Amino acid sequence: MEVDISGARVFFTIHTNIPVLGDLQISETLVVSWLVMILITGLCIWLTHDLKVENISKRQAVAEMLVETANKFVIGNMGEAFRYLIPFVAALFSTSLVSNLISLVGLRSPTADLSTEAAWAVVVFVMITWQKIKTGGIGGYFKGFTQPIAILTPFNILSEIATPISMACRHFGNILSGIVINSLIYAALAVASSALLGLIPGLVGDILAQIPILDVGIPAILSVYFDWFTGVMQAYIFCMLTTLYIANAAEG
Amino acid sequence: MEVQNLVSLIPWTFVAQICNLFIQMYLIKRFLFKPINAILEKRKAAADAEIQEATKAKEEALAMKADYEQNMLEAKTKANDILTTAQKTATVQSEEILREASQQAASIKAKAESDIAQEKRKAVNEIKDEIGSMAVEIAGKVIEREISEDDHAKLIDEFIANVGESA
Repeated sequence: MEVDISGARVFFTIHTNIPVLGDLQISETLVVSWLVMILITGLCIWLTHDLKVENISKRQAVAEMLVETANKFVIGNMGEAFRYLIPFVAALFSTSLVSNLISLVGLRSPTADLSTEAAWAVVVFVMITWQKIKTGGIGGYFKGFTQPIAILTPFNILSEIATPISMACRHFGNILSGIVINSLIYAALAVASSALLGLIPGLVGDILAQIPILDVGIPAILSVYFDWFTGVMQAYIFCMLTTLYIANAAEG
Repeated sequence: MEVQNLVSLIPWTFVAQICNLFIQMYLIKRFLFKPINAILEKRKAAADAEIQEATKAKEEALAMKADYEQNMLEAKTKANDILTTAQKTATVQSEEILREASQQAASIKAKAESDIAQEKRKAVNEIKDEIGSMAVEIAGKVIEREISEDDHAKLIDEFIANVGESA
């Protein structure tokens, strides 16, 4: 039995002939990303319609709790000065979370594409760098690479570059590994069930062996870890690192 | 169908995902944070207003209480004043009445005394006259002759005066 795990499917290609960027490929990643955005925005609109000051509905209580949690998370990690970053961190977390969990309905997670995580990590990296320059000035930023001694400069540059790469690859690796393992388990269980049911003699066994009966139920249990736990965990870690790195950069 | 590599960096996807992230940020800000923060702000304002109102009401109540106490104190003082004045007036009046009464009594007494004295004098004079005429009559009968009343009037008067003094 062959197991094929590939990247995102390309639905159609627009030839742009722009150098570096190449052809615009409308891939599964982009389409599902837009679906995720529609889902999140729709949820926001549904949660916040018909708001009241007193005697609030459960729906409004949930919306208020989400906002309070986001406020507490960002202000707790970064301080009151970074209040303006709350929507960014909330967007990062919700997009990451919904993207990770959307694989539960059989769609391909946008986060199973390194381009997605790389995009987020680069945005965060630019923010970190901007914050560093804002705090210590451009001279202070470059001087920071020679600390504590000049000989460490290459290593400092390396560790600086490693920040976005590690952020992107950590998230991507976890989601991809989930997909790979899930695919392997599906394939393995299909083989196992066909072998198991093939033991039944005669035509009945031959027909039943075609049905991967073990694929029902068992992968769901494993998906509790590989989809739910990893998905929530990675979204949380990504946002945690974002806030901590930027807050660190502000301290200088 | 064409398939991308499992681990690959697609420039267009990369750019699109950056845009998506910022669009998502705007959408979340617009549709979740803005309305919820507005409602939280409104609730906070309402709570603040209520607290302020309560504080104001309390202050008013305290002011009213102070006012009431002040009024009570004033009323008490006034009542005391009235009582004192009344007592003073009563004392003065009673003294006046007493004085007047005693004066009246004294004048009545004096008048009575003078009346008595006058009556007494009148009675004495009457008796004197009676006795005089009686004595003359008796003496006339004794000596069987008419004694001139006028002749002996002086003598009789002297006698009666002696009697009146010894009486």
